[in-house]
Amino acid sequence: MNGKSIAILSEAERHRLVQSPLDGEGLKLMFEAGLIWLTTNQQYVNSLNVFPVPDGDTGTNMVLTMQAAFAEAETKSTNNVGEMAHAFAQGALMGARGNSGVILSQIWRGFSRALDHYERMDSALFVRALQEARNTAYKGVVRPVEGTILTVIKDMTAAVEETGTSESKLSDLLITLVQAGDESVKRTPELLPILKQAGVVDSGGTGLYYIFEGMLRLIEGLPLDVSTAVVKPLSELDFANTLETVEEGQDYEVVIDFAPHAEFSLENYYHGLSDIGTSIQVGEGDGIYRMHIHVPLDKRYEPIAYTESLGIVKKIAMENLQDQMNSKKGESAKIKFTPLEPGQVAVVAVSPGEGLSRIFASLGAAAVVAGGQTMNPSVKEIVAAFENLPTDKIIILPNNKNIILAAQNAAKVSVKQISVIPTRNAPQGFAAMLRLLPEGTLEENEESMREAIMEVHTGEITTATRDVTIDDVHVEKNSVIGLLDGKLIVSTHSVEDALSDLLTKARVEDFERITLFYGEGMTLPRVNQMVDKIREQYPEHEVEVHDGGQPNYQLIIAIE
Amino acid sequence: MTSQQNPLGRIYILPEAIKSVARHAVLQSYGVISLAPANLFEAAIQFLRKNHSYGINVSADSEGLYLDINLVIEYGLRIKTVTDSVAEAVKYNVEKTMGIPVNRVNVHVRGLRISNPD
Repeated sequence: MNGKSIAILSEAERHRLVQSPLDGEGLKLMFEAGLIWLTTNQQYVNSLNVFPVPDGDTGTNMVLTMQAAFAEAETKSTNNVGEMAHAFAQGALMGARGNSGVILSQIWRGFSRALDHYERMDSALFVRALQEARNTAYKGVVRPVEGTILTVIKDMTAAVEETGTSESKLSDLLITLVQAGDESVKRTPELLPILKQAGVVDSGGTGLYYIFEGMLRLIEGLPLDVSTAVVKPLSELDFANTLETVEEGQDYEVVIDFAPHAEFSLENYYHGLSDIGTSIQVGEGDGIYRMHIHVPLDKRYEPIAYTESLGIVKKIAMENLQDQMNSKKGESAKIKFTPLEPGQVAVVAVSPGEGLSRIFASLGAAAVVAGGQTMNPSVKEIVAAFENLPTDKIIILPNNKNIILAAQNAAKVSVKQISVIPTRNAPQGFAAMLRLLPEGTLEENEESMREAIMEVHTGEITTATRDVTIDDVHVEKNSVIGLLDGKLIVSTHSVEDALSDLLTKARVEDFERITLFYGEGMTLPRVNQMVDKIREQYPEHEVEVHDGGQPNYQLIIAIE
Repeated sequence: MTSQQNPLGRIYILPEAIKSVARHAVLQSYGVISLAPANLFEAAIQFLRKNHSYGINVSADSEGLYLDINLVIEYGLRIKTVTDSVAEAVKYNVEKTMGIPVNRVNVHVRGLRISNPD
């Protein structure tokens, strides 16, 4: 689904969509637009979590729920609006992920119930469907918490109830609805103190708002796969990370610096670019714009010609992404796992970074599942990792608190004997690995691994995604924060300071060994300097350094 | 039940206190309609006494608390997702307000309420 986009509709198609009562195919288009626009803004919704570490998943959960819903509707070849809505609601129910996903599935369930047996949906019916959606959503909870997705659906419905008459056009209703949604989302911190304290708006409500805004954008002929045309400061453009999400067929990355002519319109520029490629970002600094885009091979010169018509091009950089991705893939294939004798105890570890995977492999893991904070592996992926191993004694190390449950479910669905050691991070996983006795019984291994994970303390250093005050520690966006065993203990401006503070607070003098795993954005020389300092300060301790390659966390520290 | 030491004396936290925190967390969870009596005995007491608190059982050992939650869920929801979030909400709220680790939360779905069959 990611990267897929519906073409911007022609004038006539849009006219048909808004003038006549909506039919099943029309509703399907609207749902798809909502899904795509939500997907485009998924990372923003994820960032609206109350704790300032990058582990928000509301956006992801809502996208997955909408995808499941749309997958069900997509297969329907009916033009009956009621049947289409019913399929969509059914899919949402089956695929509901997370709390926000469940509420979303209730909203669609109510929505579809009102449309039952109707061939087409006119404005009056749309209002009734929204009312039913709101009522159904509220029925699911005895003590509704306001300032959440429930408040947003309530406020949206109230707005169209007031203005909607049977003569109003569907598009006008959507405009009213989206506007009310926007205001409602902005009001959520006033209703829910924890949001205000964290300085965010409600994530679920925001997700719902994007779904309806996507529908409106479809009708208005605005692009859906490009984030809203706002200029970000150059420093915020993160071109390196967009590499991870190369869509098939988008082989080239083109970056152009240019000075636009006076009559330059950013909205039109985005629009023009969206015909050529994807992953579009535009930044501005000192009157110079920098544009970034992914394009297919045969269109690689088009962004240049297009930009030249709008301004003076200063600099052009072009890279072949496919080639880069291939070499990346080649590297990761080289991880060597310890060969397994039939009947031995095998360990399957979940690992967030390539370096960490290598370490797990070198410690004797039989298989590694990729996954971490922001991308939890599914039960199926975990099962697939150990299904074909030549033994039925399996130990799973989830290495993240969000993955423990999936690991336990994987254990339930398999016929093999499985024990899940609830490791909450990579250092605990390593501590457990060191106790592995492949010839021992599953119980022996489980017992000694559980002991081992109690003995290791874990520090994590990451960058705050926004301002917040938690446990009396004040955190500013983009400052460096340190967590000790999951608890926020320090906020400062450099990784070095955070590390030294963290070690002091962890009472390192009571332990023997410090191991650092450095992640994305850190270099070995810089880490080595820190290690020298640690050695000066704690001359009795053993200090080790590994390239962990994990995203989001500059450093993971094991203290034993 | 559980006790902790502070400089002036001991602090005892009784099951009723833990139950009321848990009850609040359960009833605020999306999809939960009400708590439900765990057995015939609880059902009988509920019938006789109006404001008896039923549906939640608490026990403890040195590792922490064990909670059993009996509840009724709205029909038409993905039950697995609802129960997951109930367990998480109970664990989070009890640990945050009581400062005692919660070792297990067992969720028993005693029934579904069908308000809109479709």
